[in-house]
Amino acid sequence: MNKTYQIWFLILSGCLVTASANAQSFRVQCPTSTITHPAATNDTEPPYIAPTTFTTDPQGQFLKPVSANGAIKCQQISGGDGFATMADGTQTYMFSFGPLSGLADIASGNPGTEPPSIFNTPYSGSTRLMPGDPATTDDGGSSFSYNGAIGLVPDPNALPLDSNGNNPCVATSTNTPPAACYTGHVDPRQMLDIGVMNGNIPAPLMAIDEDDEFFLTLSNVGMIMRPDLFEQHTVHFHGYPNASSFYDGVPDASVAINIGGSFTYYYLAPDAGTYFWHCHITPPEHLQMGMVGQLYVRPRQNRVSGDLYASLQTQQTDLRTACPLGSDNVHSDILCSNPLPAVNTHATGAATIARGGKSGYAYNDGDGSTYYDVEYPLQIHGFDPSFHFVGMTFNPEQFTDMKDKYFLLNGRSYPDTVTTGPMETQTTDGSNHFSQPLPSIIAMKSGQRALLRISDLDVTEYQTLASLGIPMHVIGYNAKLLRDQAGNNLDYYTNSITLAGGESLDVILDSCAARASDGSCTTFIPVGTYYLYTPNLDHLSNDAENFGGLMTEVRIN
Amino acid sequence: MRAMKMKNAISKMLVLAPILALLLTATAYGAAPGIQGTTFNLTAQDAYLTQPDGQSIYSWGYGCSASFVPTFAPKMTTTGFCNTMQVPGPTLIVVEGQSITITLTNNLPPSAGNTSILFPGIQLQPFNDGTPGLLTQEAAHGQTVTYTFTAPGPGTRAYYSGTQGDLQVEMGLYGAIIVLPKNVPSTCTANTGSFAGNNGLAESAWGESDFRLAAAAYDHPKTCYDREYLFQFSEMDSNIHTQALAQVTAAGNCTAGNPGCSLNVPTEPYHPAYFMINGRSMPDDMDTNYATQYPHQPYNGNPHMHPGEQVLLRIIGQGRWQHPFHEHGNHVRILGRDGNLIVSATDPANSLAGPLLFTTTTTPGMAMDGIFYWTAKGLNWDAYAHNSTSGDPNAKLPCIPDANGYNTSAPAAINYYEWCQDHNKPLQVAPFGDVAAGGPATLPDPNIFTNGAWYGGSPYLGPNATIRAVGSTGTTPPSGTIANSPTGEAGFAFMWHSHNEREITTSNVFPGGMLMMMLVDSREFVIDESN
Repeated sequence: MNKTYQIWFLILSGCLVTASANAQSFRVQCPTSTITHPAATNDTEPPYIAPTTFTTDPQGQFLKPVSANGAIKCQQISGGDGFATMADGTQTYMFSFGPLSGLADIASGNPGTEPPSIFNTPYSGSTRLMPGDPATTDDGGSSFSYNGAIGLVPDPNALPLDSNGNNPCVATSTNTPPAACYTGHVDPRQMLDIGVMNGNIPAPLMAIDEDDEFFLTLSNVGMIMRPDLFEQHTVHFHGYPNASSFYDGVPDASVAINIGGSFTYYYLAPDAGTYFWHCHITPPEHLQMGMVGQLYVRPRQNRVSGDLYASLQTQQTDLRTACPLGSDNVHSDILCSNPLPAVNTHATGAATIARGGKSGYAYNDGDGSTYYDVEYPLQIHGFDPSFHFVGMTFNPEQFTDMKDKYFLLNGRSYPDTVTTGPMETQTTDGSNHFSQPLPSIIAMKSGQRALLRISDLDVTEYQTLASLGIPMHVIGYNAKLLRDQAGNNLDYYTNSITLAGGESLDVILDSCAARASDGSCTTFIPVGTYYLYTPNLDHLSNDAENFGGLMTEVRIN
Repeated sequence: MRAMKMKNAISKMLVLAPILALLLTATAYGAAPGIQGTTFNLTAQDAYLTQPDGQSIYSWGYGCSASFVPTFAPKMTTTGFCNTMQVPGPTLIVVEGQSITITLTNNLPPSAGNTSILFPGIQLQPFNDGTPGLLTQEAAHGQTVTYTFTAPGPGTRAYYSGTQGDLQVEMGLYGAIIVLPKNVPSTCTANTGSFAGNNGLAESAWGESDFRLAAAAYDHPKTCYDREYLFQFSEMDSNIHTQALAQVTAAGNCTAGNPGCSLNVPTEPYHPAYFMINGRSMPDDMDTNYATQYPHQPYNGNPHMHPGEQVLLRIIGQGRWQHPFHEHGNHVRILGRDGNLIVSATDPANSLAGPLLFTTTTTPGMAMDGIFYWTAKGLNWDAYAHNSTSGDPNAKLPCIPDANGYNTSAPAAINYYEWCQDHNKPLQVAPFGDVAAGGPATLPDPNIFTNGAWYGGSPYLGPNATIRAVGSTGTTPPSGTIANSPTGEAGFAFMWHSHNEREITTSNVFPGGMLMMMLVDSREFVIDESN
């Protein structure tokens, strides 16, 4: 084992004064209301009409919101290990995150982020949760539909005994525990039954909206194949502006959760954009081994039905969401990129997902320029098979000689990238898990626009993704709208994009070659199948198989 | 009128600045140190570089001629040295429009042949000495070549050898040249209350000195800054250095130009095991500038800043690989590339147009200037853990928002540049410390997590907030946080590193390589960048 922990770098925690420390280590957090969102329920975002305002007392003490935008979102993930299937059939060991909430949503290719009403609903199926679920249930012929937090059970200490000496938080044939019994207390058996070796690549998808509060619970279930490692895990939200150091997920800079414990990350959603997330423990090892995932924030413009320019003007009245123009002599912020557009297109809010439709905007553009009909997250990564073998078999790790041989889009290589449905892999305990739930098929109807939220977490080299037949329209870069301080859009067209690990960008593929001024399509790109592939031609391979790799299909139908 | 407001603000505030400043040890952090002037007498020479795995790597580098007495910048450099060899080479600091003369004497082993310097982006004047080479005028062994030019527009640029570059750049012959603006906009030097205005007042109130080379990066009002750092990225494959040493030794003192007196060092295959920032790998890069244990690697990578400071990052890719340099904590606004300011086509006088990047990818030979800041804007909880029911007056400081929402009316306050929308907002549901309760999050039992060496001790910024947060008596901060003292610094640490994660290793050992910790420090902690 050639990995050395310099002793001064990670030192086990000493004891803080722990007068009121919690006894249980696994725990989820998903409050139904907070001081920022004080309504009784906060499951959906209201339309965006005006900025969030709040009252203060004469001393400037924050009192309460007058109007609150956004909602509350929660998610739980496991940190541990797992197995994935490569395109040449190899079963590969990973360190990985797996879903512990939104399991049904994740298996169908959606984010595992849930509002409190869903997250805080305990499992109530007729059969108990089985290792390998939801794959085990699916393979058995039934359909798995549970999306709440795994392990959530009534807390026996939540309420005092009733007048008959019975515990109201213990379920019996005559007693259903009330909502007050759900304090985040979890049953560790459920956590380990589901969480052990349920790793996904990419890690569970997260999606939130601007103005949301997000509670992400990471539960460290241990790495069964590596009993020698008492490994912590963390979640680093990559690219968050003005990130909190405590919740940044860098173990050297803050804290990391031990095996058998849960840590809940708390963030008010940052500005809209395509971010990503990953473990930050020994990054050369944990990222190569697969602890990488996707995350994006939807703009509040999705919740606007009227004039987009006027709505962006409204956003400028809240200093938190404002972006001054360069010519503004009173206000300034050198790190924002969505001032009012130089050209007012008089666009009005489309029927976005937030408003019952299916489309959306990538940013608060104020001119509709980042509109899309369908969206697909696409994460580029690479696996070095000898490193993964070494990672399972306790051998010294060679970082210097690390060389990827599998090139992954959403955790799969071609032709698996165009296989619908989740991929299953059997783990060493004999149970099947949905290891790779996301295909990379970019499907759109003729005339539509597809937003590709592309991120890269490769650990060794840059990778290029090219588009044959459909130009790539780059509208955002590193989770920022491409626009200058005078409001001019700086979007550009290209046939390929190149990213290294740690970078992301937004590409719109338009199935329409030319549009009229009202946006309607005048020249359609012919219906059919097109390709996204890498011109790093040696990456069009699956280890020794000389065809495959970083490639997928765009289907216009 | 402005002076009067300032006096009132200070008299209302509890003056903790001088008391706290005494508690702090002064360690040097960075700035962009170098040598400034209009004439530079340089040499190219060999020596050994130190790596954290204990290896000494035979290398070549530029340095100051033994007889040349350089002027160090910034001015308060007291321990500076410019040896006859260093990697990167001496950072040359000049002012736009000056006439610059750089002489280079070739003191490499005779078998190494000629050497030279390329100055991309700079128009050289005709040569009067030296030997013609393929890309530029060169110096033969023992000879001197003189480069003269008028310093171009402001910005950061690379310089590196133009002779047998695949070997000489690998061996360490590269450096930086910084051109300071001739006409610094007055908005960058006045205390106008704009984003970059009052920092000078805050620094004086807390006993800090100004370590900038200039008040602006370019002759443009949007390029004002409060603090600056220079980071050069490079890598080394020690096999190449070992072979070079063997051949140089075998050739002995042969006469340059004779048969057999040349090197034939293969520079492929390329398998670097060392990845450096400013010539040093982690953790050496976080030692001080001009540390005596690295006589040939004088520059460090250990950035610090206060909330709200506009920090200029001068970033150069040296060596031969690209590196995705990722800054945790916020984006960077790229001002210019290779000294070319990027402004809006329709409003060049006021509006910048460079991209906002959270990963500033470096490319060999390319330099960028960018601005970074950190302020807790949008965090949704009070980073200073202000608590209106506390008995500690520092927990009840006011936050008066300026036009941008920040607390800037009292430059001497601990919470100067606090984001006022989140003032007094609690984070924790039911904390046991002297911080506000009723927040959204419950922190886990500290027994089930592991502290990092740069963990400040609490989620909050600064010693006052941290001491209040960590216990009812506030005297038992967590152990193990040795590099960011909970009672002295308690800053917010962010890792700045190459995101080709394999490059944050040294000889297969993590941590190492291209990694450094950036600290956002409360005003209570004096940032002393004197060298």
